[in-house]
Amino acid sequence: MSEELRQLVTPHIDSYDFFAEKALSIIVAGLPPVYINNRAENADSTQKHWRLKFKDVTISKPIKSDNRQLFPTESRQSGTSYSAPMVGTVALLKSPTSDEEHETYNVQLGNIPVMVNSSRCHLRGLTSAQLVKNHEEELEVGGYFIINGNEKVMRMLVANKANHPIALTRQGWTNRGPGYTKFGVTLRSVRPDRSSLTNNLHYISDGQITFRFYFRRQEYFIPVTLLLKALVDTTDKEIFTQIVQGDFENTFLTDRVELTLREQKVKGLNTKDEILDYIGSRYRHKANLPDSFTNQQIAEYMIDNFFLVHLPDYRDKFNILIVMIQKLYAVVQGKNGCDNIDATSFHEVLLPERLTEYLEVSRAMYLKAINAQKTINEDLAFKKAFDRSLNIGEKFNYFLATGNLVSSSGLDLQQTSGFAIIADKLNFIRYISHFRSIHRGAFFATMKTTSIRKLMPESFGFLCPVHTPDGAPCGLLNHLSANCIITKDPSQDEKSKEGVRLLPSFLMAHGVTSIDVTTNFQPNSLPVMLNGKLIGRINDGLAQDLVDLLRYLKSTGDEKAVPQTMEVAYAPKEQSKGGQYPGIFLFTTGARFMRTVINLKSGKNELIGPQEQLYMNISIMPEEVRDSTTHCELSPTAMFSVEANLTPFSDYNQSPRNMYQCQMAKQTMGTPLHSYAYRTDNKLYKVQNIQRPIVATENQSKYRINDYPHGCNAVIAVVSNTGYDMEDAMIINKSAFERGFGHGSVYKNEFVDIDEGKSRLEMGKTSISRPNYTSDNLDQWIDRDGLPYIGRLIKPGEPYYTVFSTIENKQVTKNYKGKEDAWIEEIMILGGSTQVRASTMITKFVVKLRFDRNPVIGDKFSSRHGQKGVLSQLWPEINMPFTESGLKPDVIINPNAFPSRMTIGMLVEILAAKAGAIHGKFQDATAFRFNEKNSAVEFFGEQLKQAGFNYYGNEPMYSGTTGEEFHANIFFGICYYQRLRHMVKDKYQVRATGRVNNITRQPIKGRKVGGGIRFGEMERDSLLAHGTSFCLNDRLMKSSDYCKATVCKQCGSTTSVAIQKSNYSQFTSSTCITCKTDEHLTNIALPYVFTYLIAELASVNISLKLQIK
Amino acid sequence: MPCIYICGECGAENEIKPKEPIKCKDCTYRIMYKKRTDRMIQFEAR
Repeated sequence: MSEELRQLVTPHIDSYDFFAEKALSIIVAGLPPVYINNRAENADSTQKHWRLKFKDVTISKPIKSDNRQLFPTESRQSGTSYSAPMVGTVALLKSPTSDEEHETYNVQLGNIPVMVNSSRCHLRGLTSAQLVKNHEEELEVGGYFIINGNEKVMRMLVANKANHPIALTRQGWTNRGPGYTKFGVTLRSVRPDRSSLTNNLHYISDGQITFRFYFRRQEYFIPVTLLLKALVDTTDKEIFTQIVQGDFENTFLTDRVELTLREQKVKGLNTKDEILDYIGSRYRHKANLPDSFTNQQIAEYMIDNFFLVHLPDYRDKFNILIVMIQKLYAVVQGKNGCDNIDATSFHEVLLPERLTEYLEVSRAMYLKAINAQKTINEDLAFKKAFDRSLNIGEKFNYFLATGNLVSSSGLDLQQTSGFAIIADKLNFIRYISHFRSIHRGAFFATMKTTSIRKLMPESFGFLCPVHTPDGAPCGLLNHLSANCIITKDPSQDEKSKEGVRLLPSFLMAHGVTSIDVTTNFQPNSLPVMLNGKLIGRINDGLAQDLVDLLRYLKSTGDEKAVPQTMEVAYAPKEQSKGGQYPGIFLFTTGARFMRTVINLKSGKNELIGPQEQLYMNISIMPEEVRDSTTHCELSPTAMFSVEANLTPFSDYNQSPRNMYQCQMAKQTMGTPLHSYAYRTDNKLYKVQNIQRPIVATENQSKYRINDYPHGCNAVIAVVSNTGYDMEDAMIINKSAFERGFGHGSVYKNEFVDIDEGKSRLEMGKTSISRPNYTSDNLDQWIDRDGLPYIGRLIKPGEPYYTVFSTIENKQVTKNYKGKEDAWIEEIMILGGSTQVRASTMITKFVVKLRFDRNPVIGDKFSSRHGQKGVLSQLWPEINMPFTESGLKPDVIINPNAFPSRMTIGMLVEILAAKAGAIHGKFQDATAFRFNEKNSAVEFFGEQLKQAGFNYYGNEPMYSGTTGEEFHANIFFGICYYQRLRHMVKDKYQVRATGRVNNITRQPIKGRKVGGGIRFGEMERDSLLAHGTSFCLNDRLMKSSDYCKATVCKQCGSTTSVAIQKSNYSQFTSSTCITCKTDEHLTNIALPYVFTYLIAELASVNISLKLQIK
Repeated sequence: MPCIYICGECGAENEIKPKEPIKCKDCTYRIMYKKRTDRMIQFEAR
């Protein structure tokens, strides 16, 4: 296993481990209990409501029905899910509050999908040799689920930074109610199990502030001072001084705080208890809690579960609310600017751990279980109810199979689908980039504004500026930079757990005044927050020193109180005018972006986050370091993703070309894997002649791309030679093709389940077998067992397999439905892994078909610089132009491909590879290695010169047909060429006659069904313009829905013509019913749709008259 | 000529007769590969 590769998928694996090991127990403990009425007659008042609560839930490792270990390869091959049993205990408690247990039940919660290589997977910790023994890749790193045989990845999504108040303006907020303005502060509050809730503060035009929260997908508003008073026993004065912080000069602030306090006062409500009682009374009917709960208990339930849930302590909630209020007023007043919520600095990642949130489903489920069962005093009935409806595993399976979220609360997410994607094994680059992709959210894809798609400087080093698709998802679907990591949750990391514990006292010792002792304001102080909790304030002048100290300690890692994954976001006061609200915001939470830079003071590597990067001075090259510089990048290519970093000399290319290459690399027929024999993917590509590129970047070997090559080094001449290289076509040397250039094949696996779609009665009655082998004369095609021979070439329509039905007692031959000749590579019969006993009949099997796909004219190829082209001719080698040394190119491309596209990187690659080939060395093509003074052309030119080649790579060439020398010297070298998966064989569409639409009798569309290509309005226009009316008639009528109709010239109707069969004769005669004669009848040619139109119109009582002359 | 199946895990050759469970007799693994025929099949010999 490769450490670097593993690093790329760590966010997924860490996240699943967090789910399975930590979050599960946290969420189970935090799941609100279900209250049920005790209907026993002798129950006293305290026992009126009993309580059902999950005690614990555990996930074991995947096992088979016979209790043996289930390995991923078996799930993959048999098309099942790789999942492990989840078991829980539910306790029935005798009262709403006490923990006295009446009974505990063990419940089977179904099979939960297990992430490959997570702590619950059997592959964890295996060596490469052991992995290969288990039929996996040597470099298997996992990070995905196997659902119904498909590899599914949970897509990373962008979320707002946890527990950090963000000030923003939203035009939509103005219609929340009278006086509501666009100003607000939002805070995504994340619980320890990493489920989240978003709370908002709204500014009302008269200066008041209200607090908004979501409860059961509905919005509620609470006056903010009411909430403050509900949280702690406080006075108006305390609230006033806390918010104003001694800034009495600022009448804008004082006026508004005063007004808020005055306006939001409810008569008769003064103490905390009174206010709790008041709030509780308002939510009693909504909260769904037992009647015996007091109003106060209800209010506390609401506060605990829906208000600023990341802080359990009410005083802490109070404190952060004060900070949010201060921030909101500061923004409204114009002291600070709004935060940009689209910038990476206010983002983090949503990871598979949100599976945890999905457990919420379980609550709904056991509610259902209880509702089905009215009395609680029958244990048996209870058990039955649990067994029936607690299959949570099924829900998870559905969630991962479809990516659709079914939830009553919405889970604080902005979308309900698109959470899981198939990790397509087309080639290794595409596969690995699934794990690095991060989506902004489906909601943003529908937005008209483009501001969210913008490339922000804040994302430098975290999101790759090159690797995003062009077109619809541009800028929304990004990829993490190669060096970007996603932090683990503190509970998974002993060091940061310890740090969180020690940090407050460390801060107190270094100039921070604890919030517990700052009863009053301190002028010129900045708030110091740790994970969204206000822990103290620090004097403005001391802040920079503290931050520097923290950074230094962070980089050395010597101080226990300062974990290395901590983010020290310091927004200085001097830059706060129009900028961020000043303060020191410390984060040790998980799921944040972080990356490595060098701390110049300590000389060691330091992890930084996007929010702290904003105010840091980081030089890209060591020679750029100035006095104010504090940090230096590890490498100038640190900003790129793994894939973008594979483009050689990408710094020489025009930037969109690098984007195109990122797209195209993901479409190459490369090496997706080496374990072809053990894979049953729907479609797999394989290229025969692949090579390691002569010219490659550092990342090529670092991320083991050389173990999965995706192209081959081709000798290339840039010349306009025959005309077959026009418009991005390329000529391939026929002999190069015969030597295997670009040869490849496609594998398709057909899962056949004979029982599929059958009723329960019919199931298990039909199986693969061939009892009539002596008489059916199928020996040529089918083996004794009813399956085809391995290694046979099967053609469309040939017998494929035979089934025998015990119901009809008949052997039936099934034919091969495919449209292309295929080799039967492999047949697997599946004994069924879910049942306890293996099946005794072959009802399920997989046929692996291999299709030969050697290059043909029209197949697509590309270099690594976004220069794609189609094969236009396999040119005989004897006619190929040749150089003085007798070299003939494998590929000829047209020089016109370069001027407008400016892919100088490709030219440099050709130079470098040519020199590398002659000197026998692999060339380094990492970006930014060369510059103006030390130019690449000079470097490789020297090498070429040494070998006796022209300095600039040009060579005299001779015509292959006449032997004459070309007038110009030709640019000639070696370039790495990829074969793309787009092949004519999958795309060509041709039709003479074929299926037509039933109603219109016009040809149908669609390649799969043998349809035609639409000859549309614009095509019609062009024929009209050319005056080629016969051609037009041929296309639109003769070759389409030509039909002959009988029409009566007198009444002009086609509908009144009746065809009668004369008696005792096979001839028919027609008459017009309205005119009562047949003498005006005539046959005319019509498009069939027109007769259809006449019929349709007739049905609504409109007659259509044809004037026939 | 009986049909031989190769176990997907241990590689043992099994002859599965009708009405017999589809699993390896040695290791009980339930995915079996059909063995390539030794009969002469078609060639593309041009």
